[in-house]
Amino acid sequence: MNRDILKFFKAIVIFNLTLIFSLPILANSDENTNHRLDKTNPEKLKIGKRLFYGLIITGDNTVNCASCHNTEAIDTFNWNPSVYELALSAESMDSATFANTLLNPVTQKISEAHKNIQMSPEQIILVRNYIDTFKELGLGEPKMLVTRLAFFILLILILGAAFLDLTYTKIIKFKPLHGIIILVALSFIFKILYEEAAALGRAEGYAPLQPIKFSHKVHAQDNKIDCMYCHHTAEDAKSAGIPSTNVCMNCHELVREGTHSGRFEIQKILTHMEQGEAVDWIRIHKLPDHVYFNHAQHAGVGDLDCSECHGIVEDMHLLKQEEDLSMGWCLECHRTRKVNFLGNEYYEKTFEEYHAQFKNSELDSLTVAQMGGENCMKCHY
Amino acid sequence: MTKYWKSLDGNSIQKKEDKKETKSPTNRRDFLKMFGFGLASTFVLSRCENAAHKAIPYLIKPEEITPSMANYYASSFFDGDKFNSILVKVLDGRPIKIEGNDLSTISQGATNSITQASILSLYDDTRYRKPKINGVDSNWLAVDDQIIHQLKKIKEEKDKIAIVSPTIISPSTQKVIANFKKQYPNTDHIVYDSISASAILDANKESFGKRVVPNYQFDKAHVIVGINADFLGTWLSPVEYTKQYVQNRKVSDDNRKMSRHIQIESGMSLTGSNADERIIINSSEEQNVVANLYNYIAKKLGKEKISAHSTQVNVQKLGDELIQNKGKSLIVCGTNNKETQLLINGINQLLNNYGKTISFTHSLLIKQGNDKQMLDFVNNLESYKGVIFYDCNPIYDYSANKKIEKALKNIDLSISLSTIPDETSELVNFVCPANNYLESWNDFNPKKGIYTIAQPCIQPIFDTRQEQESLLKWAGIDKSYYNYIKDVWQADIYSKTNRIFDFGNFWNKSLQDGILELELKQAEPKYKYTLESVKIAKPKPDLELQLYESVNVGSGKFANNPWLQELPDPVSKVTWDNYAAVSVALANEKNLKTGDVIKINNTIEIPVLVQPGQAKRTISIALGYGRTVAGKSGKDIGADVYQLIKSSDYRPYQLSNITIEKTLGFREFATTQMHDSMEGRDIVRETTLDKYDVNPESGNERHKEIEKLHQTLYKEYEYNGHHWAMAVDLNACTGCNTCVAACSIENNVPIVGKDEVLKAHEMHWMRIDRYYAGDPENPEVVRQPVMCQHCDNAPCENVCPVGATNHSSEGINQMAYNRCIGTRYCNNNCPYKVRRFNWLDYNKADALGNNLHDPHGLTENLPRMVLNPDVTTRAKGVIEKCSFCIQRIQEKKLKAKLENRTLQDGDIKTACQQACPANAIVFGDLNDKNSEVYKLFKQQRRYHLLEELHTLPSVGYLTKVRNNKKS
Repeated sequence: MNRDILKFFKAIVIFNLTLIFSLPILANSDENTNHRLDKTNPEKLKIGKRLFYGLIITGDNTVNCASCHNTEAIDTFNWNPSVYELALSAESMDSATFANTLLNPVTQKISEAHKNIQMSPEQIILVRNYIDTFKELGLGEPKMLVTRLAFFILLILILGAAFLDLTYTKIIKFKPLHGIIILVALSFIFKILYEEAAALGRAEGYAPLQPIKFSHKVHAQDNKIDCMYCHHTAEDAKSAGIPSTNVCMNCHELVREGTHSGRFEIQKILTHMEQGEAVDWIRIHKLPDHVYFNHAQHAGVGDLDCSECHGIVEDMHLLKQEEDLSMGWCLECHRTRKVNFLGNEYYEKTFEEYHAQFKNSELDSLTVAQMGGENCMKCHY
Repeated sequence: MTKYWKSLDGNSIQKKEDKKETKSPTNRRDFLKMFGFGLASTFVLSRCENAAHKAIPYLIKPEEITPSMANYYASSFFDGDKFNSILVKVLDGRPIKIEGNDLSTISQGATNSITQASILSLYDDTRYRKPKINGVDSNWLAVDDQIIHQLKKIKEEKDKIAIVSPTIISPSTQKVIANFKKQYPNTDHIVYDSISASAILDANKESFGKRVVPNYQFDKAHVIVGINADFLGTWLSPVEYTKQYVQNRKVSDDNRKMSRHIQIESGMSLTGSNADERIIINSSEEQNVVANLYNYIAKKLGKEKISAHSTQVNVQKLGDELIQNKGKSLIVCGTNNKETQLLINGINQLLNNYGKTISFTHSLLIKQGNDKQMLDFVNNLESYKGVIFYDCNPIYDYSANKKIEKALKNIDLSISLSTIPDETSELVNFVCPANNYLESWNDFNPKKGIYTIAQPCIQPIFDTRQEQESLLKWAGIDKSYYNYIKDVWQADIYSKTNRIFDFGNFWNKSLQDGILELELKQAEPKYKYTLESVKIAKPKPDLELQLYESVNVGSGKFANNPWLQELPDPVSKVTWDNYAAVSVALANEKNLKTGDVIKINNTIEIPVLVQPGQAKRTISIALGYGRTVAGKSGKDIGADVYQLIKSSDYRPYQLSNITIEKTLGFREFATTQMHDSMEGRDIVRETTLDKYDVNPESGNERHKEIEKLHQTLYKEYEYNGHHWAMAVDLNACTGCNTCVAACSIENNVPIVGKDEVLKAHEMHWMRIDRYYAGDPENPEVVRQPVMCQHCDNAPCENVCPVGATNHSSEGINQMAYNRCIGTRYCNNNCPYKVRRFNWLDYNKADALGNNLHDPHGLTENLPRMVLNPDVTTRAKGVIEKCSFCIQRIQEKKLKAKLENRTLQDGDIKTACQQACPANAIVFGDLNDKNSEVYKLFKQQRRYHLLEELHTLPSVGYLTKVRNNKKS
């Protein structure tokens, strides 16, 4: 019996080893930290790092750089530029300018944040050296959902162990227990796999970080800009249109400082404009290739409010996908939504019979589905 | 059970059991299994991450562009052979479709298949990407430097330079060449056409003093006689002629008159197969028949006869019909023989057709080539020190190619301005690649008094430069060609208009319209009798060869276009090949069957196709095949027969004294229609004009009978809004294939290649069926375009186990690709066989790479740019079929809703309808009582395909009416 248990553990150890071997494929960003410190003068870099993290007290210890500037990719939203962005923008500065921008910033936002910083010029150079190391390395890829991944691996381990015990080691004598374990583990594994696979096509809650920290809340709520000012083709074109950079410039020609991010983010638009490079936004709402969706039909003819599909965008600093954009979700609306029948000559004259019934008050409304909104070829062609 | 051991050493049962004792629970195999599982699962997990898609807006959005919405730009297509005024659909910066320009009186909103498919040549992967010197990539600076240096040297030494080109109908380009000549005075401009019209031009020069092709007006002719002229398919301006021709061919219950068309020809051409009466002659009899016809008419009209040999063709009947329609008849001949053309002019003059059905006012200018000039040039090529090949490929399409090839070796400055590698550009020192026509500015003068503009619809994709810019550069003129055109228009064309607008407005309007038509005073030149010298050749008794231009690939310039190669030939339905069409009698005599390879004149090997309706002693072969330097799709497809043509003053496309020899070879044709019989069913219904005149229902009597029998247990559909339907007029359809090309391009229909067509896997959403009737030696031909019939009682819908195909509330039989699981039950149950199954992944729409079948590289990044983003590309394992161009219906419906108005009849045009030069296809709403399709459905000629099956199709056909007295 003892020998059997030994064998069982041996098997598990080997199994785990294989997993560990293959894990580096997933997580190869760990090495970054080491590289950074090995560069040129590791000692000085280490001091720079400590200064950055506020581990060396420089007069006032109520504030440190790392409390505002990210050194790692995170999933949550941070208005302040990350170390990587700082490194890029500091590229062309000499030490004096760098120190000056740091200690005597022009913008209100930064001067408030930086007002308690007390560092000697040498210390600033050390911090800058540390920051510069991010220029090449970047922040690395955003981390995966570690807990979910760990849970998945754990499930596989349990499943593997149960199978092993069933066929080789046979420690647990009560056979149905194996069945239950396998069944439960499998169902969770499939659940996770299904969810992950489904999320490939449509991701409810997908809210990636954008190259410019553009806030719909600031623009649409605080400043009351109409959706249609920027997405001006939504009512008459297939695509609502991501505003071209020159539309941004209509306001930002004058508005150079924001409430949250100061000048840093707005400066990016100006840079794009000056360098003649388009902004690579990350696309959030994406339907599969076999789906045809037209904004003009919905926002124009159907007179839907943008928020019905996109959520309360004016509350979002970081835009996220509100609905899952699944076929079921589309159809649900098609089945319940009432068509703006009266008043549109197209409907009134094309569907004369219905129009007569409306007039005689035999009908008071028609849903999209009743008008053919469930036809496959409304959306798939 | 006793176990027997295999051999004495090892493997006894005892030993096996011993081994079991010592076996470890984790041997090497288990380790590998688990390792693999671990690896695989981590891989799967790590891949399960949303790839970030980018959404990149414009930096500064141009005012006229709305992303996702198409713009149309007026332009022109001219390939040196055919002219078309076009509109180019540009979506998100990519030209993706070509439509006809409604404003043009030439093409009148229609196109032909070559024009339709030419858009793919823009995205041809084989195009030259940069200039080349002696086959090595170079840059424009170096190329210009060297060329100008050499040109100057030639000028100083007073040597000769030649510019060889096809007909140039661009007034600005002509000026550019004139400028070039001014700079280099010893320059000769040699013009030749790959399909020559020298004889017509020279005959008109002799008869009328004008070296032009007159303006033929088929719409004004009541009797049309075509002699070896495929004017509906390839001859001169087929789109224009088809538009005119069908005007008098469309009959209705109210208008029961139509023109009569008699075709005299050797091979079965597209035009011949549409004729009311077809007279078969061997090609060497052609001249004699024309002479006899001339004599008969001359005698009847009391004019002088010429000497001719006797003929078996009944010219009396023909002559009488023509004389009865004096001034309302038209006789055209496609031959490149000046004497014959002089006789044709003579007949038309006797019949008083000039000024009525033939006019010189808006004479056609698209053919101006001079075979004599080209012959002289080739014979004296050694005396030239510099040659510029402007958009031409004489090594392929001029028969004395060996001579040119040899001479080119001794010429230091040989330049090709080709866009893609061809036989000629391979042999020159300098390749200065030109833009595709959709990337270029140009102007054209296709007819006297008609000017058109071509404008670029996309930035040049590669480092290329249009021909005119190159010539201007070398001539030392520092001006962009765009400005050059504007100046030419201001100086030469604007002055001819009434000048209501200032030039800026005039130019903008011309550019927007794409076309400018000036009113010209009718000026008919006087006819001069020129038949004294005409000697009529005696018909020869040997085997003869007739070479003709293929409807699909034309002169061969577009041979590398897989869309054209996969179009079935309108007559034989063969794709991806040319062949020697032989008559049934000759095949019996020489023991030949379709597919047997023969050797012609001991030089060319080509497979035989037994063609009903072929002249007994004449073999017909299509030109335009057998390219040796072309891309993946054009190279070594079929046999090159240009080399058989003797280079002479009038290059003859008819050759006599041919020898053929049967070889052991056999080649299977990739044919899209293998069954020529209707199996006794009235799939195509036809009648004759005299019967139709009495009873419009004639030929279609069964329609009423069947209608009476329609009983159903199922609930019939009620269409509250629209009820889409299509009417196809079989009397108008000529079978030219333009609809098939347009449909494929609009709907992202994939190219499958010859091997797949051989397996009957072609994907075309519509096909044109062709049936023969009567005598195999001279059969009657009927054609029928067949697309999904959108049945109300659709057999396909009932059998789909997953509901992937079902009926829409507007009468469309819809197909949801993403729901289809590929059982093909629908395909089996469709009586019309219009559904296509994706046997392989032709579009790269599949996630799995190994399924890809793309022999012509159309899924590469560049050719993919042509795809229509509003239509899904279908993956492997799904059925697809005609959707009535649902994307166009939805687009126009939405437009109407946004504009708060009803749809107008004609707002929605399907791709096939829009491209059709014969107006044979009409699409519309049956619920709209004023729509054209409704009116056509009320015609007594209307019937449905296999209507006895009670499928209740939404596509209706109108019976074919022949203007033929017999039977």
